[in-house]
Amino acid sequence: MIYDVRHITTYGYSRPVPFARCILRLQPRDDGGQSVQRSELIVTPRPAERVDDICFFGNRMTTLTISKPHRELKVEMRARVEVRRTPPPFPGLTRHWEAVGALALASDSLAPDSPAHHLYPSRLVPPVSAVTDYARQSFAPQRPVLEAASELMGRIRREFTYDPEATEVSTPLEEAFRERHGVCQDFAHVMIAGLRGLGLPAAYVSGYIRTIPPPGEKRLEGADASHAWVMLWCGPETGWIGLDPTNDLIVADDHIVTAFGRDYADVSPLDGVVIGPGSQKIGIAVDVIPVG
Amino acid sequence: MALQSRSPSVRTRTERRNALLAGYRPLPGVHDELVGPDGQIRPHWEPFLSEWCALSPDELTQRFGLADRHVHDTGVSYRVHGDIDPRDPTAGERAWPLSHVPLVITGAEWQTIAAGVAQRADLLSRLLDDIYGPGEMIANGLLPASVVTGSPDYLRPLQGAPGGGALQLYAADLGRGPDGRWWVLQDRTQAPSGAGYALENRLALSRAFPDMFRTMNIERLAAFFQGFRAGLVARSKRVEPRICLLTPGPLNESYFEQTYLARYLGFLLVEGGDLVMREGRVHVRTIAGLKRADVIWRRIDGDFADPLELNASSALGVAGLVQAVRKGSVHIANGLGSGVVEARALMSFLPALGEKILGEEMILPNVATWWCGQPRERADVLSRLDEMSIAPAFRSAGGGLDTGPVVAADLSAEQREALRARVEARGMDYVGQEVVRLSTTPVFQNGRLQPRPMTLRVFAAATPDGWKVMPGGFCRISDEPDARAVSLRSGVRSSDVWVTSDGPVDHVTLLPTPDRIPIRRITGTLPSRAADNLFWLGRYLERTEATLRLVRALLGRLIDTDPTQGRNETLRRLAHLLVSWGASPGGRGQTPASQASAALHALDQYGSAISTTREARRTASVIRERLSVDAWRLFGDMQQQLTLGEGRKPSEGEAYETADRALKSLAAFSGLSQENMVRGPGWRFLDIGRRLERGIATCRFARHFAETTAPSDALDALLDLTDSQITYRSRYLLGASLQPVLDLVMLDPFNPRSVAFQIDRLDTEIRDLPSLTEDGMLEAPRRLILKLAAECRTAEASRLDRTSILLFEQLLMGVSSAIADRYFLQNSGPEGSRLTGIA
Repeated sequence: MIYDVRHITTYGYSRPVPFARCILRLQPRDDGGQSVQRSELIVTPRPAERVDDICFFGNRMTTLTISKPHRELKVEMRARVEVRRTPPPFPGLTRHWEAVGALALASDSLAPDSPAHHLYPSRLVPPVSAVTDYARQSFAPQRPVLEAASELMGRIRREFTYDPEATEVSTPLEEAFRERHGVCQDFAHVMIAGLRGLGLPAAYVSGYIRTIPPPGEKRLEGADASHAWVMLWCGPETGWIGLDPTNDLIVADDHIVTAFGRDYADVSPLDGVVIGPGSQKIGIAVDVIPVG
Repeated sequence: MALQSRSPSVRTRTERRNALLAGYRPLPGVHDELVGPDGQIRPHWEPFLSEWCALSPDELTQRFGLADRHVHDTGVSYRVHGDIDPRDPTAGERAWPLSHVPLVITGAEWQTIAAGVAQRADLLSRLLDDIYGPGEMIANGLLPASVVTGSPDYLRPLQGAPGGGALQLYAADLGRGPDGRWWVLQDRTQAPSGAGYALENRLALSRAFPDMFRTMNIERLAAFFQGFRAGLVARSKRVEPRICLLTPGPLNESYFEQTYLARYLGFLLVEGGDLVMREGRVHVRTIAGLKRADVIWRRIDGDFADPLELNASSALGVAGLVQAVRKGSVHIANGLGSGVVEARALMSFLPALGEKILGEEMILPNVATWWCGQPRERADVLSRLDEMSIAPAFRSAGGGLDTGPVVAADLSAEQREALRARVEARGMDYVGQEVVRLSTTPVFQNGRLQPRPMTLRVFAAATPDGWKVMPGGFCRISDEPDARAVSLRSGVRSSDVWVTSDGPVDHVTLLPTPDRIPIRRITGTLPSRAADNLFWLGRYLERTEATLRLVRALLGRLIDTDPTQGRNETLRRLAHLLVSWGASPGGRGQTPASQASAALHALDQYGSAISTTREARRTASVIRERLSVDAWRLFGDMQQQLTLGEGRKPSEGEAYETADRALKSLAAFSGLSQENMVRGPGWRFLDIGRRLERGIATCRFARHFAETTAPSDALDALLDLTDSQITYRSRYLLGASLQPVLDLVMLDPFNPRSVAFQIDRLDTEIRDLPSLTEDGMLEAPRRLILKLAAECRTAEASRLDRTSILLFEQLLMGVSSAIADRYFLQNSGPEGSRLTGIA
């Protein structure tokens, strides 16, 4: 499947901002069954300094400095991406989960895709024993890892309420878990906390999902959204498999990966420090259009 | 020396010695530093004991007094975690608990310690280079990747960056086991503290026992710091690099040490807000514009150093710093990622890593450690749980153990089982360690020596000639007699460490030899933040003075039994001024006396003398490295003078006395800054602050008391407030009359209290500030003050009225904001708000 993705972020400030330094992780990855045919990042006002780089985890990262006063910062990302993933393995045939944990722990690699990076608590995924206990219910001894994880994913899909009003970026994982509500980001963090609590290597992914408008309705311009889900390392043969707890889906060709990390803090699409008083207003428009 | 006494007789010495050692009983089964297993004093302590016993109890008390006074006078302090009041950073600081008995170690034994610590520093330094570089130790199976990734101090953005984990200053916490061998309890590679405290302890004890240092040949510390500094200089690409000490600020527990070391080593003390990235380089914001920072010695944790690529919630760092490190445009010591090898989990792998990397056996072993992330080690630890201490494998590791190590045997059966279950479930978060028994060293208590458990922090610095170890260290002594290492957390007392040498020691100080000193007059660069604080310090002090003068004028009139004409009207005006600048509450039910008292003591009035003094002290605490010890002490004295005891209601006379005394302290500060501060840009900003505030306050006084309708008593008050009474009387025989008073207070350039005098001084000070423009155009502060000076010089007393005085006042305020806009950080930072939201 080939997609055209457009992601526009606009910050409006109540008073002119004399200086801003931002870091952007918006352009899709070019690996793991994805190939980026073209991709560009347009920033207005024009930055005084711009450095394009690849971060530790292999995500595309752009650092900007804007040093002239501005009342609006607009970042537009456009990309054409072809997604053709190897089909996921049959869950019942994956290694049992205890073995996967032991293999990850004994890893002899610090490479960006090494499972060793994803075994421990991270900034936004602290250890929560209640979450681990919740996850454990799906992990009977010796159960195949992907089978157990898929069940956990399904439980989150069924038992949590999707509610964009309920949480913010800063809502702690414990609260989203306790209240059983949140958005894709919360569900991904909860699932990661559960898997890591059991000693399994779980990562966070940001990106997009293809949305299909209800029958008879037209696709709405800019109404798509950025998305987040989980990746689980299932052993050296299988590698990383995407699991989307918001939709109860094992990731195939409907998902486009932008960035991969330990949690949202590693991949936040636009982060920065601006200098100046005043308040800010943010506007986001996303389009994900299948083109063939 | 005055304290030198006649030699006491042999008998007296023996008696003193017996009294001193009476009841000194080492704990069973532990090594004691002073007394050997045979019950005899170890020979290397003999010289110390005999010098000690040559002193009478009175002399000793006097000597201790000298050491303690040194500690008190230099303001050596530390802070306990969580003991923080952001409104008053000096609250919660503790006086330094110095033990008067040093830890004495022989030169021969020290050689082993020093060789061991240098070897360990070398190993950890190479290991860090490997972790952030090629990763050979992980690839060849000597170190599991998950021992690295478990540490929150493993900073992935530094992977592959030059100097990402560079080690420059290393510290090892050592303990001595029952068999007399030294063990490494903990490695410190992040940003070790304590080296400055060690230096302070040395200075304090050398006050008390100067002669002992000579007779016992104690190794000096200065050469170590010289080496450390040379090591930092060597990492820079410039010949005369600008080295900054990056501090987390005055709320940090060892802020005192940081200001002290910055001064001692000649580094620029900066906070994150002082630094800014431009074109891939780090710069210090100074009053003369941006100046390059070549080397940063950081005392903040690496993770806090860059809110963009590292911990986004950090307000201590510099946005973009990691990028500068990757480009190699700045050297940071220790490298931002250096904390990763502090992990306890790593200790179980170090002996094998030492063999592989150095081809050597470790000279100093570390506490036997088993990482429970390995199945066999975990089983082993669990099978011997009762002999073990269980500790978090990593800083802030999960599993509810982040409080530190626990001795399994101390737990209840239920707790022990819970611990076992946690270790079984996520063994990677834990290590098992052998329980160490610490040695004891003597402390002086109730006239006798007592054994107390201790640990020793030893420092190593990367110098151009390799790793050098400080011959001495930072000894922390517990007050509990429990000798198990785990029970000694922060230590309650600290002591100097004396390494004795067989021959006379080299005398090195940080002062270079006279013929090699390049002559310099104005030192270094003034960071904008320091300029800002000095300016406000000047303003707060002057505001305090104005409030005190108002209070004194008010009380003087209340006490005076001979009421002059218009007295009540003057009282009303004085009280009104106090109310209008927030020093006293207004409204019914207030008497002039209660308002005067509030203006001195009320903490809930933001403009009261105590409040502005506290503000002055808070401001000063941020730039402590720029103030003399005497000046700093004066702030404490003033705050004390103005603090009212619980439920006390001072009489009018007492309150008058208080105001008078506080004014004297202020005068002492003015004297100190006039006579003792170098006329550099720092002094200039302090003076600008004072002059501006005095000018503004004098205009306000003039507006209130020098109207055409004002009674002569009001003019009298104005002369009091501006301290111009004597000058006036020497010039005019008649009582106060309007125009002469106005001329003296507003326009007379020879009266140091007049507005004209302040403007003249401001003109001079501002002219000497650095200019940023190269086009020859005047900058705003200079333009404004020139205009004001011209206005002032051409003004005539007969034409001065409320409106024209108000204009002067407003122009002065304009100068103040122009200075703030031009020289301080307010517009260009500190880092403002963050972008938020899921984008």
